[in-house]
Amino acid sequence: METPDTRTAAEKIFSRTSGKECRAGEYVWAVPDLVYLHDILGPLTLETFGKIGGDVKYGGRVITVNDHIFPPKDIPSANNIKIMNEFTVKQKWETIPFGEGIEHTLLIENGSIKPGMLAVGTDSHTVTAGAAGALGVGLGSTDIAALLALGKLWFRVPETMVLNIHGEKGKYITGKDLILKVLSLIGVNGANYMAMEFHVDRDVNFNGDDDLSIANMTVEAGAKTCLINNRNLEDHEDFPESDQDSKYTRMEIDISSMEPQIASPYSPGNVRDAREFEGIKVDQVYIGNCSNGTISDLREAASVLRGNQVRKEAKLIVVPATRKIYRQAIKEGLIDIFLDAGATVGPSTCGACAGLHMGVLARNEVCITNINRNFMGRMGDPTSRVYLSNSYVAAASAIDGMITVPGE
Amino acid sequence: MNNLPRVFILGDNIDTDNIAPGGSLHLPVEEQRKHCLESIVKDFYSVAREGDIIIAGENFGTGSSREQAPILLKMIGISEVFARSFSRLFFRNAINVGLYLGKYSGECPFSNLEDVEIDMKALEIVNGTDRLKFEAPSDILMEILRSGGMVNYARDMLDKGFK
Repeated sequence: METPDTRTAAEKIFSRTSGKECRAGEYVWAVPDLVYLHDILGPLTLETFGKIGGDVKYGGRVITVNDHIFPPKDIPSANNIKIMNEFTVKQKWETIPFGEGIEHTLLIENGSIKPGMLAVGTDSHTVTAGAAGALGVGLGSTDIAALLALGKLWFRVPETMVLNIHGEKGKYITGKDLILKVLSLIGVNGANYMAMEFHVDRDVNFNGDDDLSIANMTVEAGAKTCLINNRNLEDHEDFPESDQDSKYTRMEIDISSMEPQIASPYSPGNVRDAREFEGIKVDQVYIGNCSNGTISDLREAASVLRGNQVRKEAKLIVVPATRKIYRQAIKEGLIDIFLDAGATVGPSTCGACAGLHMGVLARNEVCITNINRNFMGRMGDPTSRVYLSNSYVAAASAIDGMITVPGE
Repeated sequence: MNNLPRVFILGDNIDTDNIAPGGSLHLPVEEQRKHCLESIVKDFYSVAREGDIIIAGENFGTGSSREQAPILLKMIGISEVFARSFSRLFFRNAINVGLYLGKYSGECPFSNLEDVEIDMKALEIVNGTDRLKFEAPSDILMEILRSGGMVNYARDMLDKGFK
């Protein structure tokens, strides 16, 4: 039963950051614990901040990251990075060393995002912070500018949807398949404005990288934020969770019979079993982005590619999400496997995932990838087509030059 | 030629890559506007006139946090976007940049490029006997819109000694 003391995790975090006990549906002024800005939406934030005028009133931690078009591809993108850095120096904010990695993966990896935090960013995939037990909320540039100018910002406390995940996963099943399945069940606005809270049973056997993949695409269901509590992690008890008697909607998902999933163009909610798409010819395979450029993804892809060649009509591009992951992949011999297979291994950047650079698609090209969006023109020409899958399926498709599910 | 707003009818799940394609996002907004909705409406930036409106289906603006989406629509002259529902980030960004939004639930009686009038008192889009009722943003959101967006609103707050 709901009592004055029982709250959802989102209500608890917004109560703490707003300094008043609040419930879902209320509007509050809150002070986030952490703000991060990146090189293509950050400059607009700083410009808008200038229009409001005054000093930075926000007293929390601000981190700037140059990850979207890094290394810069042209003069406008180089200027963006310059603008970001000059402002960072002037404000004595923190910045990430050049090339260190993609913000959503990196800030979890380096411990900047901690359980129970409210983190906001200029990027919609700020929800990825949920993998570290923090409420990550994506905001527009003007919102962040107002936060810097006012020191706090208005939020509507979100309703919560709890998803209990159980059953033992199959061999080629990852967090990507779970979140794609969820998108097919609830649709691309099924969690609009809500906090999605995943309680993942230990038996499911997902690791922390699977959590990143799940959290990252909750925004594709419209979610404002999310929290993942994976009982398989040693420190899972530190992760916030809604009180059992608090008010939330509930969903049960058994993944034991789940097959690898694919989202077909032009929506991440267009999801069916991957095998239904087998045989579709692909021009490009792209592995790497803020959710699925993890060491687990690289291991999964390498396990399929080892001793195989990328079909010569197809390009395979692999992008480790951070420098640390890149180095680890070298140590484990994964990069050699990719190079032997004929892949191009790129530096850590958002790059081709958002059609920005280093892997943009041509007219009518088809790509299978482990990224998070397959909107029309997302990775390049508006006539190109993007299929979203886990890293096993993407890697297997590179060998055959067509969509292929491994293990069949 | 009259000056009545015309309607652009769009479907469900119009996403931020339709409205503000990622490939031009690093360029100045004057360049970006040429690509606004290009994958759906040919030469939208030059076809649309000052004051025109959009009537779309569900989940308008789904996807990225890029504020360029409502900024470009506004720059091109779109005075208001109506949809059955909006994605959270687009909704917030539109309010912040001062682009008016309305939600409707009835059947849309208008066809593409039809002339209409917007009755802000009755909260209706009208052409002759065809009418579509809509719901306007409320409370703080309307205050932000009335100030012309979040920049002015924040300035006013600072002037009033916001703490």
